[in-house]
Amino acid sequence: MKVKILQWHAVGSWTWDAQDETCGICRMAFDGCCPDCKFPGDDCPLIWGVCNHAYHLHCILKWVNSQNSTPHCPMCRREWQFKA
Amino acid sequence: MAMLCDPEALDSLSEDAIAGILQYWAHFCDLTDSLLSQNVPSCGLDSQLGPTIATLCDHGLASLLQDHFLQSLEEAFKKSAVKKFWQQFHSYCDASAIEKANFHEQDNWPEEILSKSLKEICSEKRSQENCLLVLVENLKSFEDRIAKRESEIEHPSSQLMSRYQLMASSVLLTTLPWDFPDILRIYFKKKLEELNSMIADGDSYELEINIHDSQNDADFYHMDTSMCGCNGLVMQIGKVVSDLRSLGFTSMAEDAYSFAIFLLLKSKVNELAGDDYRVPVLWSLKKWIRAVPLQFLHDLLGYLGDSIEYEKESLNVKSPLASQPSSFPGIGIPSEALVRWQLRLEYFAYETLQDLRIGKLFEIIVDYPDSSPAIEDLKRCLEYTGQHSKLVDSFISSLKYRLLTAGASTNDILHQYVSTIKALRTIDPAGVFLEAVGEPIRDYLRGRKDTIKCIVTMLTDGTGGNSGGSGNAGDSLLEELNRDAENQDGADFEEDGGTDEKQAWLNAERWEPDPVEADPLKGSRNRRKIDILELMVGIIGSKDQLVNEYRVMLAEKLLNKSDYDIDSEIRTLELLKIHFGESSMQKCEIMLNDLIDSKRTNANIKATLGKAAAPGSEQREMNISLDILDATIISSNFWPPIQEEELNIPSSVNQLLSDYAKRFHEIKTPRKLMWKKNLGTVKLELQFEDRSMRFTVSPVHAAIIMQFQEKPSWSSKILAAEIGMPADTLNRRISFWISKGILTESAGREPDDPSFTIVDSMADLNKNGLASEGCQLMEEESERSVASVEEQLIKEMTVFEKFIMGLLTNYGTATLDKIHNTLKMFCISEPTYDKSLHQLQSFLSDLISEEKIEMRDGLYSLKK
Repeated sequence: MKVKILQWHAVGSWTWDAQDETCGICRMAFDGCCPDCKFPGDDCPLIWGVCNHAYHLHCILKWVNSQNSTPHCPMCRREWQFKA
Repeated sequence: MAMLCDPEALDSLSEDAIAGILQYWAHFCDLTDSLLSQNVPSCGLDSQLGPTIATLCDHGLASLLQDHFLQSLEEAFKKSAVKKFWQQFHSYCDASAIEKANFHEQDNWPEEILSKSLKEICSEKRSQENCLLVLVENLKSFEDRIAKRESEIEHPSSQLMSRYQLMASSVLLTTLPWDFPDILRIYFKKKLEELNSMIADGDSYELEINIHDSQNDADFYHMDTSMCGCNGLVMQIGKVVSDLRSLGFTSMAEDAYSFAIFLLLKSKVNELAGDDYRVPVLWSLKKWIRAVPLQFLHDLLGYLGDSIEYEKESLNVKSPLASQPSSFPGIGIPSEALVRWQLRLEYFAYETLQDLRIGKLFEIIVDYPDSSPAIEDLKRCLEYTGQHSKLVDSFISSLKYRLLTAGASTNDILHQYVSTIKALRTIDPAGVFLEAVGEPIRDYLRGRKDTIKCIVTMLTDGTGGNSGGSGNAGDSLLEELNRDAENQDGADFEEDGGTDEKQAWLNAERWEPDPVEADPLKGSRNRRKIDILELMVGIIGSKDQLVNEYRVMLAEKLLNKSDYDIDSEIRTLELLKIHFGESSMQKCEIMLNDLIDSKRTNANIKATLGKAAAPGSEQREMNISLDILDATIISSNFWPPIQEEELNIPSSVNQLLSDYAKRFHEIKTPRKLMWKKNLGTVKLELQFEDRSMRFTVSPVHAAIIMQFQEKPSWSSKILAAEIGMPADTLNRRISFWISKGILTESAGREPDDPSFTIVDSMADLNKNGLASEGCQLMEEESERSVASVEEQLIKEMTVFEKFIMGLLTNYGTATLDKIHNTLKMFCISEPTYDKSLHQLQSFLSDLISEEKIEMRDGLYSLKK
């Protein structure tokens, strides 16, 4: 007997491969989305700083824009710079 | 005797005079006897009677004389006429019940005997009346003479006739045999049936089903013409009635013929209504009432001379239900009696029909959309009779007896519930009766475990919807509900925030008090509009539970898809969003969005990966290319908990999967793809020497069967190790292939280690085909990609198990409410206790079955 596979429809789940579970700003799961978004994934991406801390892009942007002087990472207080 | 009558006169009388009077008296008695014995009063007697009477009256013996005469009449009447009359019926009255039935069957019974004997007795009575007239005349001539002298004398002679009538009827009534009213009823019944069939035969009465013609009065006018044919029959009946009346049986006759009419009407209702609920009968019934019983009554009353009273008042007495002024064919203004009859008959017809329909309401609702004419009829009947409570009581009892039993499937109950809602909505838009009727159904359904599942399936699944529904086949209940809602929107406006003041004022003006039957404890607000969905959710308790169940079902459905076609799911979701709000459906929306994204990503990956891997790779050799692989990539946070199982899938596929995941990582950096290898669907073709078979299976089944390519026979434990799953799980899963006749199971070397062998040729398949059928039962439970709601609940509740145990240690015993409230009070931060009382109860009963706690008299305590 031979088995011929006609179609294999697999199921997988995606994850942001961040070390932490939840965003340090909004406390929502990284694999979820920030409070302002409706859909996770492409619509609500993560961003890493040079300090290797990750946040929802929308969360950290809000934070950065609210800072008058140079913005710092909310976790480690180092100057915030987006990781290239 | 004479002395007693007039003692004063007696004093003044001499002996001679008394003797003279006595002589006259004797003469009078003789004359009376001879007058009565011969039927026709002769002139000779008449002339002798005159002076005798005058003399006796002169002596003030007028009243005595009258009494004597009446008494003689009575004797004679009793002796001859009455006895003879009743004798005619003796044979019937003495008969036993069975013999009576024989009488009933005879064609001309009791018609012949009745009309004959009535004729006899009436002629007898008439001759007696004539005799009486002779006396009356003589008395009158005497009184006239007296009146010239004394003006204030009364005229006793004028009352004689009525006294006679009274005497005759009282004689008849006191000797009345018990069965005589029955005989009359049978007579009228037979006659009316004859009349009915005559009218029905003559084409004048057609059963017109079209109710919309009902406003057209003209239909009626052609009926009276054909009545002429029946006039003979009516005359015959009229004769009997008038004879009976003259005998003083007026009320008995009326009772008898109204009984017969009602009987006929009842049988007509039964005949028309019967067990067919698809035609409205009310209109044809009304028409029939006019054509037969009313026409008959009109003719009868006309014959008896009763309907000549043209009173103006009668015009005001109208049938409340008659859509047109009560005008009758060829009659013009109906007499009051006739209008009364019409009201009585119509009420009776409505009541009969209503009782009939209420008795069969359960069946009617079972066929609901088809049986809506019957419902419509019932509605009109109830409007007239107002016996709604009868409906509620009878329907509830039939529900309890026929529907709410262990034998009925939850689906059937739900369908019946929906039909009930729809049907009762027509009868009673305010929903008061629905409230009463729905209560037992809801209570019962709450006790069933699969209720939520059935409701969700019914709401969302096209095939699960009401197939007999008005909508297209395959529409889900939800679609139907939505369509209804759209249709209703124009008609009844809801209290939207945006209604302007004028609208509000109009609403206020249209306010009507609740019907008397309404339960004042339940606010009238919520019964303004009957929302079927709302009622369904009401069974479950909260919409969250329903939404949750729907999410699980949706996940199951989506994960088992082999393509990305989710149009119908999107539509369902949109409809659910309308009812439950966007926020509660958010997770479901993300799930659907995942599918859409997956489709795009899948195409993207395959396009780029295909190019990269194109030049001769080992996959080509294995005859597996990327083309066969599709993937659904989910945002697992928003899906219900997914059941994961360890599984080693064939290396060729595994390679493909890791290539795919790698590519995903490249495209969507830094996101990673984690496979859930036990999920998904696989389409296979099994190629044997003499045949090939196609299957759509789960990856587990695919992995199992692919192992048999290398080796035709495997022992259970080795195969399990190869695939990377526990042996007992494998044994369960492999039964799928056994049931399909692809594999056979045989005892292995060890008792718990059976071996499986591939069935290569058709001959073997046939041999083994029969033995394997029992296995099919097992696969039902085996395949679920998503944890069921109950499993989820247990998982979530285990966190609180410690709390509950500690609580019971402290308190000793606690009621369900107390545990619930305590948990609510203390478990406010992670993990938050947000379960319902019902959920807690089911978790506690799980703990009881695990023998951790126990419950007695509603108090929970630790198991000692």
